[in-house]
Amino acid sequence: MNVLKKYSTINYGIALLFSVWCCYSFTNAQKPITAKKNDQGKIILKLNLVFNEQALLLGNKAYINASGDSLIVDEFKCYISTLRFFNSKNQVSSEPNSYHLINAEDSSSLTISVTKIPAGNYIGLNFNIGIDSTTSVSGALDGALDPTKGMFWAWNTGYIAAKLQGRSKKCNTLHHAFEYHIGGYLQPYHALRNIDLKLQNLKVESGKTTVIELKVDVAEWFKTPYLIDLSKTNNVVLPNKEAITIATNYSDMFSVSKTRDPF
Amino acid sequence: MKRKKKHIGFALLTAILGMLSFMPNREPDIKFVIPKGWPKPVYNFAGNTLTTNGFKLGRALFFDPLLSRDSSTSCSSCHLQFTAFTHVDHSLSHGINGLKGTRNSSTLFNLAWNTSFMWDGGVNHLEMQPINPITNPVEMDSKLEDVILKLNHSPHYKKLFYSAFQDSVITSKYLFKALAQFTVMFESYNSKYDKVSRKEKGFEFTAEEQKGYAIFQKNCNTCHAEPLFTNHTLKNNGLALDPELNDVGRMKITQNREDSLKFKVPSLRNITVSAPYMHDGRFRNLDQVISHYTDGIIHSSTLATELKQKISLSAEDKKNLILFLNTLTDKEFLFDMRFRNYLNN
Repeated sequence: MNVLKKYSTINYGIALLFSVWCCYSFTNAQKPITAKKNDQGKIILKLNLVFNEQALLLGNKAYINASGDSLIVDEFKCYISTLRFFNSKNQVSSEPNSYHLINAEDSSSLTISVTKIPAGNYIGLNFNIGIDSTTSVSGALDGALDPTKGMFWAWNTGYIAAKLQGRSKKCNTLHHAFEYHIGGYLQPYHALRNIDLKLQNLKVESGKTTVIELKVDVAEWFKTPYLIDLSKTNNVVLPNKEAITIATNYSDMFSVSKTRDPF
Repeated sequence: MKRKKKHIGFALLTAILGMLSFMPNREPDIKFVIPKGWPKPVYNFAGNTLTTNGFKLGRALFFDPLLSRDSSTSCSSCHLQFTAFTHVDHSLSHGINGLKGTRNSSTLFNLAWNTSFMWDGGVNHLEMQPINPITNPVEMDSKLEDVILKLNHSPHYKKLFYSAFQDSVITSKYLFKALAQFTVMFESYNSKYDKVSRKEKGFEFTAEEQKGYAIFQKNCNTCHAEPLFTNHTLKNNGLALDPELNDVGRMKITQNREDSLKFKVPSLRNITVSAPYMHDGRFRNLDQVISHYTDGIIHSSTLATELKQKISLSAEDKKNLILFLNTLTDKEFLFDMRFRNYLNN
């Protein structure tokens, strides 16, 4: 009897502790970090585009994909949106109006500067590849989302999340071309992918700049979990099953390669 | 004598000024009306505040062939006001160099209530609609970036865009917002049907129209729901697939077999003036349309449930139904001076 009572007390205790912890983590989850204006720093994201370990060059360099096929990349573009930085208390610093178009042809697009980040230590970087559904149904937009950027479907409204075009002898198409225009904001072909990257206690200091170097490996489009055979999959230009396959493949193309402390 | 002349001159001047002030292109009334008993509009006006300057800019753009690659074709080439902004007498619309498309141009009115655009519902927002005809190779065949460049090189448009949006750089966003400000004002709610419904003095259905209305309510009202005369869904209405056009409709957008041969339910407002009918304009008149529903339905797995049971109408029923449909013509809208071309004034 006494033992039972003891256990139930312990159980109650555990339950109580659990609910307190729940409440604590709930109230803390993704709570925005508040900081004074003079206690903010800057993070610069530098994107290094590669194919396997080699730098990505457009137009003439041959790369070998996971199936062992030789290919040339002519165009690579992708949207990064909703950039967020997390600290160890799971608090978040979100970039407002966060839409960035990465374009291999435009080196200035490979540097993203995020200002007004509260000073502190950060353990996580989170963003989307593609444009969320709310933005996709919001009518005419400008900046990175201007349809003149060539990342917009007119007849089937929506933004292309990522685009990869090139050539391979394996493709039995005009000029051996392959075209991947990946996107779609409606189920079942929802191509938006959320990317979560770990940071090793990244310091952000007031008035200083911290650098994160990201590796973007285009070879991942062909690799895992779905091995892409260019002779079969070479023209994916609308939201469908193949697009979802490729979106899942490229969702691990980003990794943190290096960071640089505030300077 | 001299003094008298002066008086006459003054009177003439006043008269001319007075007439000018009545000319609608001076300051068009751009108050958007939600008719009594109608649902809440879908279009988000908060994101694009209607202004006189925005409306007038949209109007100038709508009528300007500058939007096409060779300055030959404007929005109004295929969307004419007198036919509720469709292309009268053209089953399939043609654009640049007389090239033909695969679909009948839509009527344009009450667009603020539309949940999607195009016959296949592929466009999700009024503002994103015009990019299609502007860039389609068989319509205006422009590149959007070229249009923006042309507009930015035009001192005339620089001025108009600035007065509408207070920005010295013209972007596609402003182009689309301006066109939306003009087209969202195409409101049709003053047909005889509306006046009868509102119990306005002097407006009553004839006995035949009343019978036609009853036939409409029994057989058509589920999809062509009042007061907009569409429920904005996409349905397979039993048309045979044209083997040359091979247009599967909604399935092209969703890649889903269950959407095969589904097209948007069009509004029946102004139906009498907007022939030909259906997404490919295959029917030249309302007799053919009604005969399709009574005797021409092709049964398939995606056929609208509403059409699975045969609709039987006598010759007199058909005649009365057409007489009722005539009451949906809204001349106030079709001849509204605000929607005329003032490009050369």
